[in-house]
Amino acid sequence: MPSVELIASSLVSGFLLGGILALTALGLSLVLGVMRLVNLAHGEFLIAGAYAGLFLVKYTGIDPLLGLLVIGGVIGLLALPMHQFLLMPLAGKGPEAPMMTTFGVSIILQNAFVLAFSADTRAIERDYANVALTLGPVTVAQIYVIGFAISASVVGAVHILIAYTAFGRDLRASAADADAAATIGVNVRRVHALTFALGAGCAALGGTLIGIAFAFTPVSGATYLLTDFAIVVLGGLGNILGTLIGGITLGVLQSIGGVMLGDGYRDLVGLALFLVVLAFRPQGLLAASRS
Amino acid sequence: MKPGEDVTSASDRILLRAAGLTKRYGGVVAIDHVDLTLRSGEVCGIIGPNGAGKSTLVGLLGGALSPTAGRIHFDGSEVTSLPASERARRGIGRTYQIPRPFLDMTVEENLLVAQYSLSPLVGTRAAYAQCRSVLERTGLADAAKMPARALPLLRRKRLEVARALALRPKLLLLDEVGAGLIDAEVTELIGLIHSLVKEIPTIVIIEHVIRLVRECCQRLVVLDFGRQLAQGLTSQVLESDEVAAVYLGTGHGSLKAGPSERASSARARLAQGGQRAGSLAGMVGAGEPKASGAAMPLLRLEAISAAYGQAKALNGIDLVVEAGQAIAILGSNGAGKTTLAKVISGAIKPSSGCMLLNGEDVTGRSAHVLAARGIAHCMEGRRIFQPLTVEENLLIAARGVSAIEQRRRLEEMYLLFPALAERKAASGTAISGGQQQMLAIARALMAKPRLVIFDEISLGLSPIVVDRIYQALGELRAAGLTMLIVEQDMDRVLDLVDYVHVLEHGSFALSGSPPQVKANPRLRHLYIGAAD
Amino acid sequence: MAAQIASTRSLSVGAGSAGIVATALLLLGLSAMIFAPRVVGEYGTEIGFRALIYLTLAEAWNLLAGYGGLVSLGSSSFVGIGAYILMGMLNAGGFGIVTALTASGLGAAALAIMVSPAVFRLRGLYFTVGTLALGEALRLFMINVSYFGGATGIFLKSNPPPTEVLYVYAVALAGIATLVMEIYTGTRFSILLRSVRDDEDAASQVGVRAFRVKLLAFAVASLLMGAAGGLQALKLGAIEPYGMFGLQWSIDTLSIVIIGGLGVRFGPIVGTIFVIALAEALADYPELHLAMTGVILILVIRFAPKGLCGLGQDVCRLLIGRWDRPGMPRAGGALP
Repeated sequence: MPSVELIASSLVSGFLLGGILALTALGLSLVLGVMRLVNLAHGEFLIAGAYAGLFLVKYTGIDPLLGLLVIGGVIGLLALPMHQFLLMPLAGKGPEAPMMTTFGVSIILQNAFVLAFSADTRAIERDYANVALTLGPVTVAQIYVIGFAISASVVGAVHILIAYTAFGRDLRASAADADAAATIGVNVRRVHALTFALGAGCAALGGTLIGIAFAFTPVSGATYLLTDFAIVVLGGLGNILGTLIGGITLGVLQSIGGVMLGDGYRDLVGLALFLVVLAFRPQGLLAASRS
Repeated sequence: MKPGEDVTSASDRILLRAAGLTKRYGGVVAIDHVDLTLRSGEVCGIIGPNGAGKSTLVGLLGGALSPTAGRIHFDGSEVTSLPASERARRGIGRTYQIPRPFLDMTVEENLLVAQYSLSPLVGTRAAYAQCRSVLERTGLADAAKMPARALPLLRRKRLEVARALALRPKLLLLDEVGAGLIDAEVTELIGLIHSLVKEIPTIVIIEHVIRLVRECCQRLVVLDFGRQLAQGLTSQVLESDEVAAVYLGTGHGSLKAGPSERASSARARLAQGGQRAGSLAGMVGAGEPKASGAAMPLLRLEAISAAYGQAKALNGIDLVVEAGQAIAILGSNGAGKTTLAKVISGAIKPSSGCMLLNGEDVTGRSAHVLAARGIAHCMEGRRIFQPLTVEENLLIAARGVSAIEQRRRLEEMYLLFPALAERKAASGTAISGGQQQMLAIARALMAKPRLVIFDEISLGLSPIVVDRIYQALGELRAAGLTMLIVEQDMDRVLDLVDYVHVLEHGSFALSGSPPQVKANPRLRHLYIGAAD
Repeated sequence: MAAQIASTRSLSVGAGSAGIVATALLLLGLSAMIFAPRVVGEYGTEIGFRALIYLTLAEAWNLLAGYGGLVSLGSSSFVGIGAYILMGMLNAGGFGIVTALTASGLGAAALAIMVSPAVFRLRGLYFTVGTLALGEALRLFMINVSYFGGATGIFLKSNPPPTEVLYVYAVALAGIATLVMEIYTGTRFSILLRSVRDDEDAASQVGVRAFRVKLLAFAVASLLMGAAGGLQALKLGAIEPYGMFGLQWSIDTLSIVIIGGLGVRFGPIVGTIFVIALAEALADYPELHLAMTGVILILVIRFAPKGLCGLGQDVCRLLIGRWDRPGMPRAGGALP
């Protein structure tokens, strides 16, 4: 029977980690909700962010957390030509073609990472990452707390962007009815391009946090991709705050699974949950009921 | 001998009985407690204006939709919960309003699907022979090996019928099979249906082309707003004034009111509108002098054609719209009205011809570009952004202007439609059909457009609401807004506009001023198909 | 995409008879290949074995995705299940190889049937993502459950048969796969399957029980994949979750079929030859090889949706077109 401290710490860690995972899933949810695109290269955007953070600190000494916005911006900008040249031309050809194309990109990126950076396991070594915080029975890694704070802020910022700005209006309208939006004057193509870039940028941010908190390899993206799908399905496609709730839920459930069944089962819990939700309510647990 | 005359040809055996059939989509009731009894051996027609629920009813009977309430009994057993495939196997065949053949299979293979699903073990030779005979019956024998994709519209409709025939159904549901066909083609179709009557016990014809039901059906059921409005022998139903009213326009008052009465009430409304016109002048994207002789027309279409794949929707349209004009585009279902609207607003690119906006060639430009140039399109079906609030729906259309200007325009819209002001924070799903239509109109106006296309704005709305909306249109007209009104409800429109075009099969069959068009006997023919 | 692509296949005049002839040739060719080991030696046989396994997987996936419209990213689930079943049975003792391989296939089919109610409720994209998750979930499950060997996996207690023998099994399996495909695409079942792929609702309205049609295709494809997985396991002698349930299987299978031509009868074989050739050419640069596969995949999707087979057909049409007399009507329409 695990101790109270262990359980409490696990739950809180799971909660915080779930928040961080929510950030990694945010981009996927946006792109899926607005563009109906399953971006199978999402995991690689994450890892790209992790590598970017790694090299940022290695070559400039700037802490990745300080350079987060730059990292997100760079990766987001790099995603734009991908959308422009690879995805947009496939506009009328059905939903599988773009998805398979992102699959191709995923393969290319994974192997490009190996070629460029070697297959070694990496981690962004920061001193603050190894500190543990203790409050009562609960002990968590400091980086989880920092990561959670950053993640929640970014999710909140994106939510404000989507819910309260003109761009957000255009985005939601494009997601609801692209043809009507175009007739009203929304440049739907541009909205899609920017959404894709935003999704990539958010993924990169999440990846940097992951890179600081954990180790990563060129192929780690695939596992996060699936976990992120679980979060998106839990929280509802395109539902920003729902993604945060979904992430936290998943984090907590993963912790429970880990405590009860063993550490290796953490990821499995997420996937099993995903499959169950997908089987019964593919549009997401928190999605509004269909009209 | 017309089937309509022979009442005794129907047996007493009841083939289908639907009781209390209801279909609800959220707050919208598409079919409201409809009862229907079909006897073996009869040909029954179901008619009603657009939005009455005809296609929903077909979906419910055929199994594509499951009812919110009610039961269906077919051939003695209950089939309410059976999916479409099971109903098909029991003998319910249906065709689709817009033909859905298996495009990447040959005509023959399309029929084989039905054969093989019914009798998987039937010998190949027998199956092909069966197909051959059905194809001969439906006039497609020469096209047996052609890919379905290559067939033109009428032949695709024949294929729909052939495919349903291959099922050897006991009940055949023909869903708007006459739509989009010219007179000669309708005659062919009537011949086909007559030949089917011998071998299929019961046929239900859901139709908009009245000529078809007149010549094929013994009995008619009239639907309106999802409810059964009338039922009885074909000749009786078609002669009823009530039914005619439902088709030609509900009017404002009774249809029996004479032209002079209606004209004066229309004038009164316009006068009323004129008082508000001043305040609305700001909403109208003017800036060009109104109808000053030598001025360039606001919009000119030259030889515009458009097609959806094989189906030609528009055929060499020439249209001129002067600034400040109100023009009506009329026509029966499938004539091409919405296609024309979409070509003008940029949602569809024309396949040939050119379009000039104030002299500038804008042919083939994207929708958002045309919107920026001042073309607003109040789309058919409203197309409100459901997740956005009423106010957001409005704001999104006011693009590229300062926040102050946006506020100003919002206030004007709230003045025009107070109902929207009360609900400004409600989401698109929480307002009624009429309010959605008002929102759609207001949204179109928020862009301060030079030209607005109103596409079927009276669809599915009660007369009182339509009154209110047309009142607003009258006010806008008086304020100088250039508008193109695509409509089914003829009466109201003809009182409002300067000029009328009537579309038939993608070209203008009739054009002129409202009095000219109204007096023309062809008008009724184009809608009701009564070959007098 | 699948529907647009398959139009070339279904409309080729005389497809039936041409298909049977071609299949017969293929089977003959495969039989002849049984003697190949003596000619090409050890290394050649290895490549041949790999190619035949890939061919089997590709044919199965083509059935599922190309003809059935079910784009699955979960091939690894069935390959892995088949592998573990075979190992389990051979280690338990008392079962011959053929029995074990059959069990692998049947086990994989059983898995397919088990997950089908849930998985078929998902349409389009959700289906694809669902199958991806299934494969991953199984992999993680196998890693954690020690009964199945956990992360280290299990190994064959007895010695695996020599490569030449395995090669013969592979030829047989590929032959079965080819035969199955011929039955599927040439017979009435193909008509039902394609109708579901083209328009499931319209097919239902004509009496097709879409669920059963899809299920049968899914089960048959999974059976083939499971048997292939079992054979692969037999060859390796030792298996572990990462290798047998890994995403590589899904990636490789998908790439082969799309590059060869999705929904095209000979797509799998053309794709297999191409991919194997590429792999050999870049044998010393595995990452480059994979990256190139990704690039080619993207290019094919964009510019040649019918794959290399489609390109080949277009080239033939172009060449034949050049030799037409002027004024003679061409069946295919205008020149590209």
